[in-house]
Amino acid sequence: MEMSKKYWKGIDELKQTPEFIKHKEQEFVNQQTVEEFLADENLAESSTARRDFLKFLGFSVAAATLAACEAPVTKVVPYGVKPENVTPGMPTWYASTYYDGSSYASIMVKTREGRPIFIKGNKDFGFTKGGTNPQIIASVLGLYDSARLAHPLAKGQKASWSTVDAGIAAAIAGAKKVTLLSNTIISPSLKRAISQMASNMNGEGGVKFEHIQYDAISYAAMREANLLNFGSRIIPSYDFSKAKTIVSIGADFLSTWLLPTEFAVQYGSRRNPEADWMSKHYHFESVLTVTGSNADARGMIKPSEEADVLNYMIKRMNGEAATAGSWKDVAERAISALKVSKGESIVVAGSNNIGIQQLANQLNNLLGAYGTTLDLNNTIELHQSEDAKTQTLASNVAAGNGPDVLIMMGVNPVYSLPNGAAFAKGLSKIGTTIAISGFEDETASLCTYVCPEHHQLENWADYRAKTNEYAIGQPTIRPLHNTSSALESLLVWNGTAQRGGADSAVAYDYIKATFAAMNPSGDFNYLTHNSCTTLDIESNALAFSAAPIKQLPKSADTEVVFYQKSAIGNGQFANNPWLQEMPDPVTKVTWDNYITMNPVEMEGTYATTYDQEHGLNLATVSVNGKSLTLPVYPLPGQAPKTIGIALGYGRGANGEKIGKAAFQTKEYGGHAKTEDGKLTPIGANVFGLVSTGATFLYSAAAKITPTEGTYPIAATQIHHTVMGRDSIVRETTLSIFKNHDKDAFNEGHKLQKLDKHGEHVEAPVSEFDLWAAHPVEKIGHRWGISIDLSSCIGCGSCLIACQSENNVPVVGKDEVRRGREMHWLRIDRYFASDEEAAVGVKKDKENFNYDNAEKAALNPSVVHMPLMCHHCNHAPCETVCPVAATTHSNEGLNQMTYNRCIGTRYCANNCPYKVRRFNWFNYPSYKKFTEINPAQDDLGRMVLNPDVTVRTRGVMEKCSLCVQRIQATKLVAKKEARTVNDGDLTTACSDACPTEAIVVGDWNDLKSMIREKSESTRAYQALEEVGVKPNVWYQVKVRNEENAVLEHIKVSAHQQH
Amino acid sequence: MQKEAAIREPLILGHKTYHDVTEDVCRPIEDKAPKMWYILFGIALVIGLYGVGSIMYLLGTGVGVWGLNKTIGWAWDITNFVWWVGIGHAGTLISAVLLLFRQKWRMAINRSAEAMTIFAVFMAGTFPLIHMGRLWVGYWVMPIPNQFGSLWVNFNSPLLWDVFAISTYLSVSLVFWYIGLIPDFATIRDRAKKPLSKKMYSILSFGWSGRAKHWNRFELVSLVLAGLATPLVFSVHSIVSFDFATSVIPGWHTTIFPPYFVAGAVFSGFAMVQTLLLVMRKAMALEAYIHTKHVEYMNIVIMVTGSIVGTAYITELFISWYSGVEYESYAFLNRATGPYWWAYWSMMTCNVISPQLMWIRRLRRSLLFTFFISIVVNIGMWFERYVIIVTSIHRDYVPAAWSMHFPSHIDIAVYIGTIGLFFVFFLLFARFFPVLALNEVKSILKGSGQSYKESPDYHKHH
Repeated sequence: MEMSKKYWKGIDELKQTPEFIKHKEQEFVNQQTVEEFLADENLAESSTARRDFLKFLGFSVAAATLAACEAPVTKVVPYGVKPENVTPGMPTWYASTYYDGSSYASIMVKTREGRPIFIKGNKDFGFTKGGTNPQIIASVLGLYDSARLAHPLAKGQKASWSTVDAGIAAAIAGAKKVTLLSNTIISPSLKRAISQMASNMNGEGGVKFEHIQYDAISYAAMREANLLNFGSRIIPSYDFSKAKTIVSIGADFLSTWLLPTEFAVQYGSRRNPEADWMSKHYHFESVLTVTGSNADARGMIKPSEEADVLNYMIKRMNGEAATAGSWKDVAERAISALKVSKGESIVVAGSNNIGIQQLANQLNNLLGAYGTTLDLNNTIELHQSEDAKTQTLASNVAAGNGPDVLIMMGVNPVYSLPNGAAFAKGLSKIGTTIAISGFEDETASLCTYVCPEHHQLENWADYRAKTNEYAIGQPTIRPLHNTSSALESLLVWNGTAQRGGADSAVAYDYIKATFAAMNPSGDFNYLTHNSCTTLDIESNALAFSAAPIKQLPKSADTEVVFYQKSAIGNGQFANNPWLQEMPDPVTKVTWDNYITMNPVEMEGTYATTYDQEHGLNLATVSVNGKSLTLPVYPLPGQAPKTIGIALGYGRGANGEKIGKAAFQTKEYGGHAKTEDGKLTPIGANVFGLVSTGATFLYSAAAKITPTEGTYPIAATQIHHTVMGRDSIVRETTLSIFKNHDKDAFNEGHKLQKLDKHGEHVEAPVSEFDLWAAHPVEKIGHRWGISIDLSSCIGCGSCLIACQSENNVPVVGKDEVRRGREMHWLRIDRYFASDEEAAVGVKKDKENFNYDNAEKAALNPSVVHMPLMCHHCNHAPCETVCPVAATTHSNEGLNQMTYNRCIGTRYCANNCPYKVRRFNWFNYPSYKKFTEINPAQDDLGRMVLNPDVTVRTRGVMEKCSLCVQRIQATKLVAKKEARTVNDGDLTTACSDACPTEAIVVGDWNDLKSMIREKSESTRAYQALEEVGVKPNVWYQVKVRNEENAVLEHIKVSAHQQH
Repeated sequence: MQKEAAIREPLILGHKTYHDVTEDVCRPIEDKAPKMWYILFGIALVIGLYGVGSIMYLLGTGVGVWGLNKTIGWAWDITNFVWWVGIGHAGTLISAVLLLFRQKWRMAINRSAEAMTIFAVFMAGTFPLIHMGRLWVGYWVMPIPNQFGSLWVNFNSPLLWDVFAISTYLSVSLVFWYIGLIPDFATIRDRAKKPLSKKMYSILSFGWSGRAKHWNRFELVSLVLAGLATPLVFSVHSIVSFDFATSVIPGWHTTIFPPYFVAGAVFSGFAMVQTLLLVMRKAMALEAYIHTKHVEYMNIVIMVTGSIVGTAYITELFISWYSGVEYESYAFLNRATGPYWWAYWSMMTCNVISPQLMWIRRLRRSLLFTFFISIVVNIGMWFERYVIIVTSIHRDYVPAAWSMHFPSHIDIAVYIGTIGLFFVFFLLFARFFPVLALNEVKSILKGSGQSYKESPDYHKHH
């Protein structure tokens, strides 16, 4: 018997047919070689039939046609010689310095293949310690604005630099009077060049040259008051990190006042309730600002009451009796706090009235602030506006008595002067007007010569924002256009330098020389590497001396305040679509300015709610005989009998070429035109209503009358309270936090369950799970975010940084109005209602009135809550996607696969946090967005981050937790053969945060900051009870306030229970 | 021959013979169409084409032409989808469930009800397609082998279940409807005089010869299909309701949704049948076959399902309060008293109050009143879906994201357009297809025909 079975492949093999045996060894039957085939004599006889021929022909034509349909080949040109330090795909960072005439910061610029694409604060060097603001981060987009001047202009025509320089030199030579009107110059080199210019011109006898510094937003009153009190026109340094008590009278120091990039960092460092002490912040203001919204106690005052508050506090500090207004309670609390923190407190006043600043000085002196929190030796060199001189010049020019040559550098007086229109007319009577400006703006378009300036990112510059620090701004890209450094222009006109062209070293050499003179032992390369260096300063021994108080503002029935919004500021960024679309931190309105008024006062006259289809009512405001019409916005916390209007809007009223995004667009694309065919500016310019006098004053008596009509408003948030929900934002007071256990300020949600004995017991939400959990602990990375609501000030820097990093499209006013902004990270702002003891805490659970809960309180406390994708471990979006386009990574990320997405939007509906954003249109190409989306502009496109896909129409997108950065971080660690260290990873938002409220990291790294934060007693997860198990933690907001009602609910009532 | 109690109202009025039945059903097909048909068809076509044009614009530009936003990702699109699917429920219920329950009165209405079902499902199917951001890759919802790697659909997603549920429902309904049509097509074929129509109807009738074997198979297939279709009646809308019920959104996440949706669907489907048939019986002179008794039967179904729906509404309200869940309670409070209170109360009035009027015999036998209520019910059922979809997501968990929905003119155009298209299909059906299952009706003529019931012979057999 055979032991093995016999296997056969076919019947032929079984039967061993001759045929099979013949072909057995051949794997492929009929192995004819090509040679054999071609050698076949009959081959030539084989013919192609007519039909076959036609078939082949048809196929070839069709195939060729199809091939022709393919997109044209775009060639990528490789580097011929690889530049040093440039590796394609790897970013190069440059330390530099930002200064635009008002904001100042030490920054880091990220470049990719030679293009600057991202700016963040420099946390290692410079006194701003990483602080930035939305404008600084967004300024990178301005580099690629296609409306930037690409060449000099002479009488409105394109001209060469030599023509322009010759014309200007001749004009200066022949002039009797030359005036340079510039913004505040903090550049030692520019100052040196200007003084050379002055000495050159003034040497011949008589004063021929005059330099006037003029800022659109003036802080002259501070300098004048200090002149009176200290004998010197200085602004001292403020140190909010040393102040246990902060009293601000109308100073929005976290967002727009003086030096917010530094102040926000200092302030944030003392808002940590876990630290030894936490600052106490009292705020008095008319318009609810970013700073006011962060205050521990806030008093609503009219601008004219600022002096009253200061006077009251001075008197009370001196133990005298005084009368007070409705703000008495907050003032009293502030006084008692100030009394116990002498030498550890700061009083700041935002007004540009000299008398008010004198009072603030007096109070600071009483509190012993000078020498402790205020440093008179190390002074702030920003904001040197000379209001009186400017006003004289402006009226002279308007009257036709201007200088023979007027050079305007970094200023836009036609736009920003109260008598700008008259000034504009007067300009034509001046022999030669010269504008050094990046754009053909309101002023430049009227000038004889326009000398386009480099963008900051193309320019060598030096700065001395404070006396003890010298900083360098270095170019990060070769100039895109035929522009020049302002310093070089001045030097050329002064006859001390020759034009250097695109690769000019004139400014560089000059700055190097300035530095060498200032700091002979300093290493310039080292300076450039760090971007700044400390200088030794001498003590100036200034001391306070009382001086008679200058005139204080008069009160009026209704007063108007002209304030700045954190995104638009003084208007120089009106053409930046990122900033225009940045929701105002308090009102959440984009693309507009408006009249703010307390909704309680609006009741009955104006609409107090608004949505996509229901706009706001218009009103006309008259100030000093001038009037303008704007919509009235219901802003809780606005002081009664006051209104506020933001400056910086209404740019390009005559259709000047300041950038496509500075003008209104139509519903189906294209710019909106006014009746006379001009482009329509966004909002209204209220610089015309600013009053003049010893200084420019940003408040005035006003009359407001309702006007027929409504105006559509584009806000990213149309509901303003949290409706008593305690699982979204949580806030408590410092005393509850310090003195009670977690349940009093951060009670976790509990559900009922059955225990072993069948008894109902309460258990934390985390114990309940519908599904078997993804293994998340101790397995690889698990990325997470922690956001501290206590230190978040709501400034919006993170939002702009995210937009910049992740190529988030700009969608324009009409789309924002429809509720379709694309921001991956939004900052929710909640006002407390009268039904709540604090935001999210119901006063009375049983009798909670939802209608009242929808209305913000008269003077509400405010919580800012940055919200992005929560990267839920049990993500509801993931289960509902029919095509698995959104999935979970094994590192805890909720990933979006754009090219798999079919756009059902089910995921967005099922997201409890509503953070998903849908591409309703093809933003990179649809005509509606041509004017506003940088991705539709050949130049604007250069700002796009090459690591992040630009999304197409019909797909969902959302925060990726900067997955491109996570990958890069891991690769760097891998290349260095180590694990990822805590702190290696930063996201755009955490980079941008001036108060370090946002922390990212690997939660599985037990020693990481994120792990520590997530386990703190303040940590909670928003909507924890939904059970989605997010990877984002919030830290309870702790207010350093007294809140008896909250205390009662959370502590006394609890203990009884 | 099955006999019916004499006291039961006859289902076929008048002295109809078998030939009369054939004549009555075939006449509209064989005659020239009346002017009114052309007018109605013209109007429906214009509206339908307007809708098609709007859909083209939508597909060319982006979903942004609708009034949706970051908070409200679905509104009119899915409302219309559910509304049409709901309407499409009556047909299969009448043909399958009532067949199994041997309800003879269904024979007069099943043909047009099924036609309505199929056209309604067509319209319903349009919305999930056009609501997609990228329709051109919509085939990715099919679990087909592909070259994208081991990329498969997500079987967890209720939307995927929808794909299967709707397509199964559509195909079974279509087959069922067509099988029923075969003998009737044969009748028309046999009577047709023009060669073209003879050819067309002979193709459509699949060589039906009327042999006993054919009838036997016909009956068997009908029964088998009825058996297959019956669970579908319940599954389709249950699965549609899963789109909402399996989510985490308060107001959507509701376990009573499947039965509540099915009842609602039958409710709206019967209302739509009423709307169509009340007009059709007049226009096509079918008063003898579809009369007050049929209408009354259908009104009773409307009353019962309407009551189930009403109970569901009230249960939802109670549970939202009883649950003690903050978001759930607010979702329902907001429905009733929030910015969309008018939609909620329209729904409550139309769907809860109007069916209760059917308890009154005089009203449920009034054709005019029935017609009015049938329209009211369908308005109410549209609002029901709008209320569920929009008022739940417009204010869900995070108040900062709360929003409002306002339809754009494209939203309205697409919706109205599908109504137009639906009538285009239905009018074509009425013109070229036998609107009454004539061979089935013949089977009850002697059992339930008026003249037979009144004839003295009828009683003798007992």
